[in-house]
Amino acid sequence: MVLFTGLNSATMNKILLIEDDEIMPKVVARILQPPDYQLDHVSNGKEAFEKLEATGYDYALIITDIMMPYANGFEILSKVKSHDREKPIPVIIVSNAGNEDMIMEAFKLGADDFLKKPIIPAELIIRVKRLLMNK
Amino acid sequence: MYIQVPEFLEPAWNLFQGAPLAIQLAMIFIVITTVITLLAYVSILRNRFRGYQRAKRLGKLLPLLDNLIVEEVLANQDPLAQTQPDAVQLNLESFYQLPLHKKWARQATTDRIIHFRRNVRGNPGRLLRTLYLQLELDKDNVKQMKSSKWERKVRALTEFIEMDIPIADVTILPLTNSHNRELRAAARHAYIKLSKNEPFKFFDVVTDPLLMWDQVELFRIITTTEDIAIPNFARWVTYSSNRSVVSFCLKLIVHYNQLPAVPAVKQLLDTKDHYLRAEAINCLGKLRVPDIEDKLVYMYSSQPLQCQIEILKAIGRIGGGQHIDFLKQEFLHSTNFDLRKSAAKSIVKNESIANKILQELLDTADPGRLLILKHCMNPLIKY
Repeated sequence: MVLFTGLNSATMNKILLIEDDEIMPKVVARILQPPDYQLDHVSNGKEAFEKLEATGYDYALIITDIMMPYANGFEILSKVKSHDREKPIPVIIVSNAGNEDMIMEAFKLGADDFLKKPIIPAELIIRVKRLLMNK
Repeated sequence: MYIQVPEFLEPAWNLFQGAPLAIQLAMIFIVITTVITLLAYVSILRNRFRGYQRAKRLGKLLPLLDNLIVEEVLANQDPLAQTQPDAVQLNLESFYQLPLHKKWARQATTDRIIHFRRNVRGNPGRLLRTLYLQLELDKDNVKQMKSSKWERKVRALTEFIEMDIPIADVTILPLTNSHNRELRAAARHAYIKLSKNEPFKFFDVVTDPLLMWDQVELFRIITTTEDIAIPNFARWVTYSSNRSVVSFCLKLIVHYNQLPAVPAVKQLLDTKDHYLRAEAINCLGKLRVPDIEDKLVYMYSSQPLQCQIEILKAIGRIGGGQHIDFLKQEFLHSTNFDLRKSAAKSIVKNESIANKILQELLDTADPGRLLILKHCMNPLIKY
């Protein structure tokens, strides 16, 4: 069972991580490494919107926290899902706040997956791969 | 009185001595306030400088530490490895390059490992615990536990919980009865989280009443802790001499729907304590124990108001249907508003069985009782 490899080494999957915690990006960067994944990290909602606009929403996947400064994960999720694209970018919500209401709200807004912190790295990579395969 | 002053202060001293009393007092006041202000400024500057130095030291240490943890723990992942994460011998050479002989660096390392554990679990989480133990950071925490300051003990307990390090009963059990509220709560929290076999043993040694806020906190901890061994709470219902522990266990029995505890709860119906009897009736009602309805109706007339209300509610919750007439009689003839309201709620709750009686009451009740019935029929009002 090989967990820490990408889908197709010929194409690099661009992933945007939106997370204000300083440890999580280091963890995710260690898991989703080049050459299979290219990880961009921003630490709040405002930077996320700027990054998405600047890149023309050119991401294969977005991983976002919920509680963040300027704009929370739900606002980002709504914006990403309502963006005029042939197929919306898949979004994984990773959050400490894993109560029932928040999970329901995330899925109502179109989240493709929800992971509660602390995460299991191997689980994250399997979920990322699954979403990228469906892309 | 002759006071010797340094030569350079003599002009000021002479000026002070020649001044009127009011001016002398004002001058003393000015000198004292100036000195205090200067001391405050010095203290603030010293703390800021220390903070700056600390931030500078951490600024150098933390990136190195993060890289080491990521490389040593997250990269040390082989899902097919036979060795359990707890038994893995980590390569600590690089960690020993850090100034871990210094207390601040050890504390920063502990805090960082805890921060990582809040982000990752599974095998990496267990490896972080292994790292914490192999760096012998737990020894600092054991020292903190021996401190006479309660804040240090609370911090140490929190650290033990985060790192899932068991603590000896002899150390922690006395703390669960501490007179300090914060320490007591932290110790109980730690005991529940860390005691794998008997997380509720401290119920046996609780001497003071569990305050309502303590109960709320404990309930939250118990119901949100994963992999906790839930005992049969009937044990404390039967044997505990602490009324608040019994009351709390009744709530837990309801939460965990512990039907084997019903015989012990039934025994409480004969207790002389009205408060506990009401709680026991409430518990039996919420557990929907069907064969208890007759006994509740039989004892109803001899009970205080609090217990009577609970009996009416329990009959409504159990919903056996044999005592709808009793509820109707109480609704129509009771002189107490709360009893009428509880009876009405129970009739409404059993609407499927008592629809004829409910309709009859709606048609014939006086305006006051009709208002109670309509209020109870409002689905937005929680029962």
